Amino acid sequence: MPAAIRSVLARDRWALAGTVTVVVIGLVAIFADVLTAIEGHDPYTYDASALDPASGLPAGPFGGVSGEHWFGVEPLTGRDLFAIVVHGARTSFLIGLAATLVSIGLGVLIGAAAGYLGGWIDRVIVWSADVFLGFPYLVFMIALGAVVPVEFPRALLLIVVIGFFGWPATARIVRAQVLTLKERNFVKAARTLGASPWEVFRAELLPNLWGPVLVMATLSVPGKVGLEAALSFLGVGVLPPTPSWGRSISAAIEWVAVDPAFLLFPGLALFGVTWGFNALGDGLRDALDPKWGRKR
Amino acid sequence: MISLRYAATRVGSMALVLLIVAFCTFVVFYLVPSDPALMACGKPCTPENLALAREFMGFDEPWWQQFLTFLGGIFTGRTFGSGATAIHCAAPCFGYSFRQNADVLDLIGDRLPVTVSLAVGAAVLWVVLGVGAGVLAALRKDSWFDRVALGASVIGVSAPVYLVGLLGILVLGFKLDVVPVGNYTPFGEDPVRWAWGLVLPWCVLAFAHGAHYVKLTRTQMIDTMGEDFIRTARAKGVAERTVVGKHALRNVLLPVVTLTGLDLGSLLGGAVITERVFSLPGLGGLLIEAVHGRDLPTLLGCTLFAGFLVVVANAVVDLSYGVLDPRARLT
Amino acid sequence: MYRKRLLAVVLLGALGVSACGANDQKPSGGTAKAEKGGTLRILSESRTINFDPAKSQSLAIATLGLVHRRLTGWQNAVGQPVKVVPDLADTGKTTDNGRTWTFTLQDGLKFSDGTPITSADVKWGVERSFAPAFGGGLGYHKALLVGGSDYKGPFEGKELDSIETPDPKTITFKLSRPYGDWPWVASTPAFAPVPKGKGAEADYAEHAVASGPYQIAGYQKGVEAKLSRNTHWEAAKDQVRAGLPDEVVIQLGQDASVVSQRLAADSGDDKFAFGSSFVSPAQLAQLQANPSAKSRVVTSKSGAVSYLALNTQKAPLDNVKVRQAFQYAVNKAAYQVASAGTAALAGDTASTLITQGIEGREQFDLYPAKPEGDPDKAKQLLAEAGLPNGLDNLQLVLNKSNNQTDKAEAIQAALAKANIKVNIRSLEEDAYETETNLSANPTYDITLSSWQPDFPSANANIQPLFASSEIGNGGYNLSRYSNPEVDKLIEEAQSTVDPAEAGKKWAAIDKRILQDSPVVPLIYTRNSFIHGSKVGDFFIADFPAYPNYLQVGLTK
Repeated sequence: MPAAIRSVLARDRWALAGTVTVVVIGLVAIFADVLTAIEGHDPYTYDASALDPASGLPAGPFGGVSGEHWFGVEPLTGRDLFAIVVHGARTSFLIGLAATLVSIGLGVLIGAAAGYLGGWIDRVIVWSADVFLGFPYLVFMIALGAVVPVEFPRALLLIVVIGFFGWPATARIVRAQVLTLKERNFVKAARTLGASPWEVFRAELLPNLWGPVLVMATLSVPGKVGLEAALSFLGVGVLPPTPSWGRSISAAIEWVAVDPAFLLFPGLALFGVTWGFNALGDGLRDALDPKWGRKR
Repeated sequence: MISLRYAATRVGSMALVLLIVAFCTFVVFYLVPSDPALMACGKPCTPENLALAREFMGFDEPWWQQFLTFLGGIFTGRTFGSGATAIHCAAPCFGYSFRQNADVLDLIGDRLPVTVSLAVGAAVLWVVLGVGAGVLAALRKDSWFDRVALGASVIGVSAPVYLVGLLGILVLGFKLDVVPVGNYTPFGEDPVRWAWGLVLPWCVLAFAHGAHYVKLTRTQMIDTMGEDFIRTARAKGVAERTVVGKHALRNVLLPVVTLTGLDLGSLLGGAVITERVFSLPGLGGLLIEAVHGRDLPTLLGCTLFAGFLVVVANAVVDLSYGVLDPRARLT
Repeated sequence: MYRKRLLAVVLLGALGVSACGANDQKPSGGTAKAEKGGTLRILSESRTINFDPAKSQSLAIATLGLVHRRLTGWQNAVGQPVKVVPDLADTGKTTDNGRTWTFTLQDGLKFSDGTPITSADVKWGVERSFAPAFGGGLGYHKALLVGGSDYKGPFEGKELDSIETPDPKTITFKLSRPYGDWPWVASTPAFAPVPKGKGAEADYAEHAVASGPYQIAGYQKGVEAKLSRNTHWEAAKDQVRAGLPDEVVIQLGQDASVVSQRLAADSGDDKFAFGSSFVSPAQLAQLQANPSAKSRVVTSKSGAVSYLALNTQKAPLDNVKVRQAFQYAVNKAAYQVASAGTAALAGDTASTLITQGIEGREQFDLYPAKPEGDPDKAKQLLAEAGLPNGLDNLQLVLNKSNNQTDKAEAIQAALAKANIKVNIRSLEEDAYETETNLSANPTYDITLSSWQPDFPSANANIQPLFASSEIGNGGYNLSRYSNPEVDKLIEEAQSTVDPAEAGKKWAAIDKRILQDSPVVPLIYTRNSFIHGSKVGDFFIADFPAYPNYLQVGLTK
């Protein structure tokens, strides 16, 4: 497994660049507190002294970038933008990853069950996938945001909901794969030998699924991160004052004519994560997915 | 090709899906602790006024009863209130929006042309550009064009639509004043202005969606071009253009059609964020207004309509499989 | 009373009228004199506009006033106090100390269809507002008129007997209790005349019969509304409206920042336009760099009072010392910056409940401190109340619309300095109203809100927010303040007919309530609006913080 990945990274420059970006941002997310401690600011403290008293804009050029505030400050509040971006990485990155795990996990189990067990289970699952596809998850999210008590950790809610709505896409592909694998000899042999469905799944199906599943997982992270940012953009993501790239972008759009730095930093960060996972996922798909990889 | 039984099962299944979507929307809406009759209550809103408003709008029944009334209204039409001030909603009645004083179906009808203009225009653009770029990239594999196309496609997939859109408006709309901003002109009124106003949203959407198609088409094309039947055709002396245009493309089109169908279906349901970014009065905008304005009838109507489009798109895609791919058969 | 800017914009149909005067006392940019003629354009964020007087919560000087006249109107000019003045009728006479009010209509008034306006039409308009099909408007008159609580509108053949029309020029109202502000109530939208017997259809709003200088010429849902001249309106008979433009076009569904940028660019038809939404701080900062645009931004002198309401029925906020600590803990300077970027654009810090521009208001400050607040004093008060470790886990509930979140975060950060830790929970508009106005046992500890009276009387500042009858049940007493002594004082002041006497009583009540500190007044919110270069007579008076739509015209 790792050998295949290593060979992909060695061959494909874009995939390598993507991986590096993702790893860097991941480290930033994990060590957010350390980084902000080094810089000396946190994302919550209001600092009126960093603002121009005549307009509320950051004092200083390029959004107030200085040795003190590495990415400048937010207008109207004076909060440190570097700290906001770095802590926002934690929110978006971690929520995106966790939601992907949820949807991949669910998708693999449900898809495999549909493909392997067949019959009415398969029909019900396929039909449910249709329901989910037609479901207005945006509306659902907005409404859910209003219903759930504020004590319930918002990040967890987002992970569960975003993840939960992602299973049909994965399940569909896994189901197709399992349908082909089911007819293969080694699977039939295992069944004749009396292995239970779960054992067949674990021992025979899963090892052959990890390739396409890994590709799907990598390629769906950006979608989840993007969705979290979009929900924050619409105002139904994590609650303030928890930093979130989506919310910062939503606020920064208005200021772009006079303070482009405010949009630039969170925007680049979001783009970086999305692009990184896409580049990596593309490279993996070319190498690992048997259908794609044959004639590159 | 398609048996009657299949068609009946399919339609039945679609109806059931829509029913569940409607039901869930109802439930979620009623879980939220708020009173949709508030908007018709007035200021100050006394409990008596609120009760009167609720009764008039039909919100005084328990939610499951309201659901059944809603379903019934689709077939028989509905009347709100009584006497001279009664409001009649002709069948099929998908609800009445008190906030906008109109049948939900009328509201959707008003907004549909905008969404269709946006979705179809963007779809045409992204299919042509995406597939075209993908085919060319495949034919000129590893050339600079190939690399640029691939690079651009990854960027297109990664950059958030709202970001690209807003920047586009700022640069092209305001700074350079190339495109009109914030207004939609109906096609019937002024086709040129209609198109001009939609150019930017079309391009932004095409960039974001087309990116998927470039990679997809390219890989399919490469795969297909290596197949035996292509070699046979070439050996037989068929012109390269025909080889590519007729033989290879047909194979490529299958996944493209699938993806287009699904994408178009979801866009037609209302590209919420895109419409909001470009201030287009389409279905997506209607949905968001309904959510924020607690307008359950409109919300329900939009949701059902969007769900309907997605479900239909899925069905059409499945059907077209049967047409395009002789190996798949629907019975 | 505005909870949110959008509410003001949407429901009240009050498209801001930017005052020509800027934030300081001298008028900046000059108010160009407008002339007759031309097409005025109003750019509105809202997707709908309502011309049905029964359903309207609009201010008397806003768009609805272009089409509908009321019994009384508002004298609204820069530098003058706002007073009630005659519109269709005089300002009302009472002989029994405010229980019965009689109005006499002018001669020769006509509707836009040529038929005369009589007292029966005014009566029909008021009665119509009671019908459930047309609920949703300002209803101060509903509980005050005898028999109003049971009345369900005139469409079933029943009349409201407490409104008497002895002859076509006279109309008398019988109230259930003495009420000195009835002349103000008679300026609310429900008192616009509707031809007797008409107006039963749900879409009356789209073709309402007009009594004002303009009538509805066309209405395209979600796109625009066109108003053309009402030839039966006579300027000589109307002292509150100028009726200068020939046509008024209201463009709907315009995104606020796009509007700002278009008006700043000032090209083509935008020269003859103004924006109905407030100019946001981001746009204001941008406009500072554009001198031409900057001169066309008008900021009100004062506005709605922004305040923090403390739930006096929930521990530990039921302790007055704890509540007084909040008065010192808040950082009004940071709140100003979070609202609009600078103190000048945001508005003066507030220390009274009665808003500026209301007659009889007295300025005082029971809890003097620097604008940045005094966290140490707050901590000291908390310690005196037996809470040396401060407060934790307080729930601050807020209405999501109108950028409340940014302001709430500023409050949260300031309170944290005084050891008061607050969690923010933002709700959609209706969910918020349900929680704060309707719920009997709400869970919030604090809420951020804003209030501008619907008519310019101290009564409308105080009673809805602090009378115990306004707790829950749809009322706006968010601090759930219940004090029988104050309730009695309020009733007394409401029954006083002489405005000067009433004013003194209200000022005393203002002080008395603030001694109990149920709310922390923050700022008097200034609103800014922008208009095109050919728009004249565009001003914002002391009250309300909205431009006067009735006087706006175009210059050549």
